[in-house]
Amino acid sequence: MKDFMHFNAYSVDEAVALLSRYGGNAGIIAGGTDLLGKMKDRILPSYPEALINIKTIPGLDQIENKEGMISIGALVTLSRVAEHPVIRKEFTALAEAASRTASPHLRNMGTLAGNICQDIRCWYYRAPQNRFSCLRKGGGRCYAIKGDNRYHSIFGGSVKAGCFAVHPSDTAPALIALNARIITSRRSISAETFFNVGVTHTTALSNDEIVTAIQIPTSAQETRSAFLKFALRKSIDFPIVNCAASITQKNSMVMHARICLNAVSVVPRRAEKAEEALINRTIDETTADEAAVAAVADAKPMEGNAYMVPITRTLVRRAILACREIHGG
Amino acid sequence: MSRKENIINIKVNEKWCEFSLDRDITSNMTLSFLLREKLGLTGLKVSCDEGACGACTVLMDGKAVLSCLTLAVQAHGHEIITIEGLAENDPVVKAFSEQCEPGYGTALQCGFCTPGFVMSTKALLNENPKPSLSEVKEALSGHICRCGCYAGIAKAVLHAGEKLEAGGKKS
Ligand code: SF4
Ligand code: FES
Ligand code: FES
Repeated sequence: MKDFMHFNAYSVDEAVALLSRYGGNAGIIAGGTDLLGKMKDRILPSYPEALINIKTIPGLDQIENKEGMISIGALVTLSRVAEHPVIRKEFTALAEAASRTASPHLRNMGTLAGNICQDIRCWYYRAPQNRFSCLRKGGGRCYAIKGDNRYHSIFGGSVKAGCFAVHPSDTAPALIALNARIITSRRSISAETFFNVGVTHTTALSNDEIVTAIQIPTSAQETRSAFLKFALRKSIDFPIVNCAASITQKNSMVMHARICLNAVSVVPRRAEKAEEALINRTIDETTADEAAVAAVADAKPMEGNAYMVPITRTLVRRAILACREIHGG
Repeated sequence: MSRKENIINIKVNEKWCEFSLDRDITSNMTLSFLLREKLGLTGLKVSCDEGACGACTVLMDGKAVLSCLTLAVQAHGHEIITIEGLAENDPVVKAFSEQCEPGYGTALQCGFCTPGFVMSTKALLNENPKPSLSEVKEALSGHICRCGCYAGIAKAVLHAGEKLEAGGKKS
């Protein structure tokens, strides 16, 4: 691994000051599970001159159950999210997504905030020693378009970068379905607009901005949420497709629905047509099916990934059915 | 003020060790490198070096972590236990070495993955002394055994739990 300066930050302000001092040439490290792998393989043409450790900042490791919302600090690990009783009960999709991420070790080390800030897994991008200098590294082309794109986007490339790499997070779609907000050192952004792909970034964060917490509003009592993931291995594997749904029902009728897919598009993708198809209807096999078909109606698979379309459809259907009201309750 | 700590103190197998930055260790050194190459604790193995195999597992403050993805400087102030820190008659070590059962086989063949599995088992049994088979599988799901001894490993973990219980009753 290339050498770097290592700083322990003791406050958010200090971390931000260090980031601006290095003007884009510094990185934030918390769990380190994504960052260090990337640095060891030398996949990028250049590397941060400094790493700023935020594990030393007091107070960022709290889960606070406040009036009308839950707030999860930037240092809270995925295993704590997965095990937290309130998150399991009221924000089920998030607890399930966290518990299906990576492996128990990586969940003990990696944070929820890090999980949404992680970098893409495109195998051309991740090839060691910067073997493919693609669009995302300032190069001239995307190798996935003509190459092996079995794990790439089925909903087109990113407008800004022309890249087809999918966003690999399991927790991101759950946060979007649950209408979360990402709190940074300078603002509050909806989870939906947080993911923003450009040549060198996957989020809307500026070079000197850090995530400090994630807040999720408590939803109506009749709301249920679910998360489902399809991957080749049960453990230590990124999703081929995942889907989170959060649905509010009254008298067996759907009032609100938020459904979000990930790993199928360059950013987590709301399945808005599927949501609309459910409003004012009762969830059953037929309505779930119709919504699922609507979710993939505008899919444009590439040469190697048409298989992802039926998987996506199935996950949407199952996620909706998982939110069905429990009768007699 | 943010600090570039110059003295790093890590408790390794019950003993505090002091390292000086740049002389003994560098910021880009992983904990796995420090333990193996500087302290000679070669029980843990580095295989994938990127978090995908579990061979480098050690205990940090009682939790199973991957030493290949931990910076040595960030272990400052923490307590590390490696396989060398376990007693020879540790129930988990014993259960792994004794495992040989028709239908399940041995818990190890080449032994490369074993120190990692043993350390995760320690962490599991500390929290949950009587795990079910599915809890064992879940807790160890971050490990890979290239020799494919998974059934034997799971049996060994269940036996280790029984040994711990029996030991607890005696004392
Ligand atoms: S999909 Fe994106 S990251 Fe992968 S090769 Fe194409 S431009 Fe690069
Ligand atoms: S060497 Fe650390 S997980 Fe494989
Ligand atoms: S015993 Fe050989 S890798 Fe597990």
